[in-house]
Amino acid sequence: MADAGQIAAPRLARTVGLGYLVRRFHWAFVVGAAFFLTVCSLLILTPWISPYDPAAQDLLNRLAPPGPEHLFGTDHLGRDVLSRLLHGGRFSVSIAAIAVLITGVTGTLLGAISARVGGVLDDFLMRLVDALLAFPGVMIALFLVFILGPGYGTLIIALSVAGWTPFARLTRAVTLEINTRGYIEAAEALGCSRTFIIVRHVLPNAIGPVLAQGFLRFGHELITVGGLSYLGLGVQPPESDWGAMLADAQLYMIRSPWLVLVPGLVIFLTALSVTLAGHGLRQSFRRGGPRGLGAVAAPKESAS
Amino acid sequence: MARFIVRRVIFLVATLFAVSVLAFVVPYLGETDPARQILRARLGGELALDPATVEAVRRQFGLDQPVPVQYLRWLEAAVSGDFGSSYTNRQPVIGIIARGLGVSFVLALSALLLATIIAVPLGILAALKPGGRRDSSIILLTQGLVALPEYWLAPLGMLVFALWLGWLPAAGWSSPVSVILPAGVLALRPLAYLLGVTRASMITVLESPYITAARSRGLSQLLTLRRHGLKNAMVPVMTLFSIWLAGTLGGSVVIEVIFAIPGLGRVMYDAVTNGDMPVLQAGIIATVGLAIVVNTLTDIGYALLNPAIVVGDSNG
Repeated sequence: MADAGQIAAPRLARTVGLGYLVRRFHWAFVVGAAFFLTVCSLLILTPWISPYDPAAQDLLNRLAPPGPEHLFGTDHLGRDVLSRLLHGGRFSVSIAAIAVLITGVTGTLLGAISARVGGVLDDFLMRLVDALLAFPGVMIALFLVFILGPGYGTLIIALSVAGWTPFARLTRAVTLEINTRGYIEAAEALGCSRTFIIVRHVLPNAIGPVLAQGFLRFGHELITVGGLSYLGLGVQPPESDWGAMLADAQLYMIRSPWLVLVPGLVIFLTALSVTLAGHGLRQSFRRGGPRGLGAVAAPKESAS
Repeated sequence: MARFIVRRVIFLVATLFAVSVLAFVVPYLGETDPARQILRARLGGELALDPATVEAVRRQFGLDQPVPVQYLRWLEAAVSGDFGSSYTNRQPVIGIIARGLGVSFVLALSALLLATIIAVPLGILAALKPGGRRDSSIILLTQGLVALPEYWLAPLGMLVFALWLGWLPAAGWSSPVSVILPAGVLALRPLAYLLGVTRASMITVLESPYITAARSRGLSQLLTLRRHGLKNAMVPVMTLFSIWLAGTLGGSVVIEVIFAIPGLGRVMYDAVTNGDMPVLQAGIIATVGLAIVVNTLTDIGYALLNPAIVVGDSNG
């Protein structure tokens, strides 16, 4: 028993080493995840590292260009752009994250159950997925904003209504493949319950692809959140997020192009980092194939 | 085959019915009073409304009836194409939606054609050597395109091409050139997905035996591609094209608002901000209905081309 602990220690050290990460995972995952983690840490630390109060106006110092005092300049009310980016990012990223979490869990469970139970339930769920995939997502969001009014919660609901469908489709495909394996047959022969088989055999097999899908969806949701906020349908003033900052900046873009450039670049880089991470992760789960980015079938998603 | 088509059509009708119920009933679940909404939309602003006037409007529009009765009345009219009239400008809703759809169709079609023209050659180029350096950089490019927010690209494009260079109009829908900038921005995301599908389907086709046979007969690579590969590889691309076209008709809200284009997305956005319920209901049914109809037609078309799908369908 004592030996086991001693053997486990160096192995653990190797597992978390950077060299191991690079060898085990695709470079795109390492780069994307590292960038995304940096963004998340900055957003978590915002109350301590934000240089100014994001709402503090300095009307004598309006539309100041980027400089040592204000790293990304100031907006039309003299507010510090960097501080607003940090505070606003907390809304954008958390909305997307919560939506992905909700849809990821629901979609995965529904997909697994659908494939294990089969029959009429499976038929119905998959038709529903098809129909929802065809819905224009922004229309659903507009409709919900009309009913519930704009805000944080509305955005999460709007993203979740149809957002679970790619997860369900993916998990269903994985489960159908697992269904044919010998160990499932063995488990069924032993009299294992449906719940047990899903929890013990199906979900562990699905977790990798689902995680990769989660990253890809996160990028998609982040961009959608920004779009709705841009339209004024998201977080309401005096609070602001990345999309709302872009909308504010547009009136002043001839005089101060950086006001448009910076928030958009932040959305783009964050979305790109998670997309890369998801793509690299998907790659990492297929060992033995070519190492290039293109070794995986490119994004296959329906218009949504 | 007939059974498959009938089942799909039944599902289509059921979905449309469900959507119409949702689109009609759900707005009533909110706290907004439609009668007050009408007055607010017509008079503008937050006024202290006279209760007697509110009552009169409620009776005039039949809003004092139970919701199921209202729904049936509305459905009866809607089946014959009468979706009521807008709360704000009193025009018939059907005309507003049709005009918006027409504009959105031109925009979406231009964007998708542009996307296809670029995506298909690039996708084929990537598929010729999967996993190679050229393939990897093309895939990386698509990752970048998917992550680009169009509400960022659009203002930047406006700034560079309209305000700085003065080549294109900044916004509006008055001349044929006004379509270039919005369509260009709108094309980027479908470009990424169309490229992915072209590449994936081309890889599959190139691995099939008849391509090997054609090559072994000594046909050049270009000729093999043109004569045997392209046609087969284009089927999934066309599917995605049509589904995306239907989806984009209602989905280009952001672009239409930014560029002040009077399309369906803009109509819906205005309906939400003005509380114009009849327009919103009809617009939801139009966009969602269109998307589902196109989806069903694509499914049926697929099944007609390849009967094996029907067998797969009945197995689950």
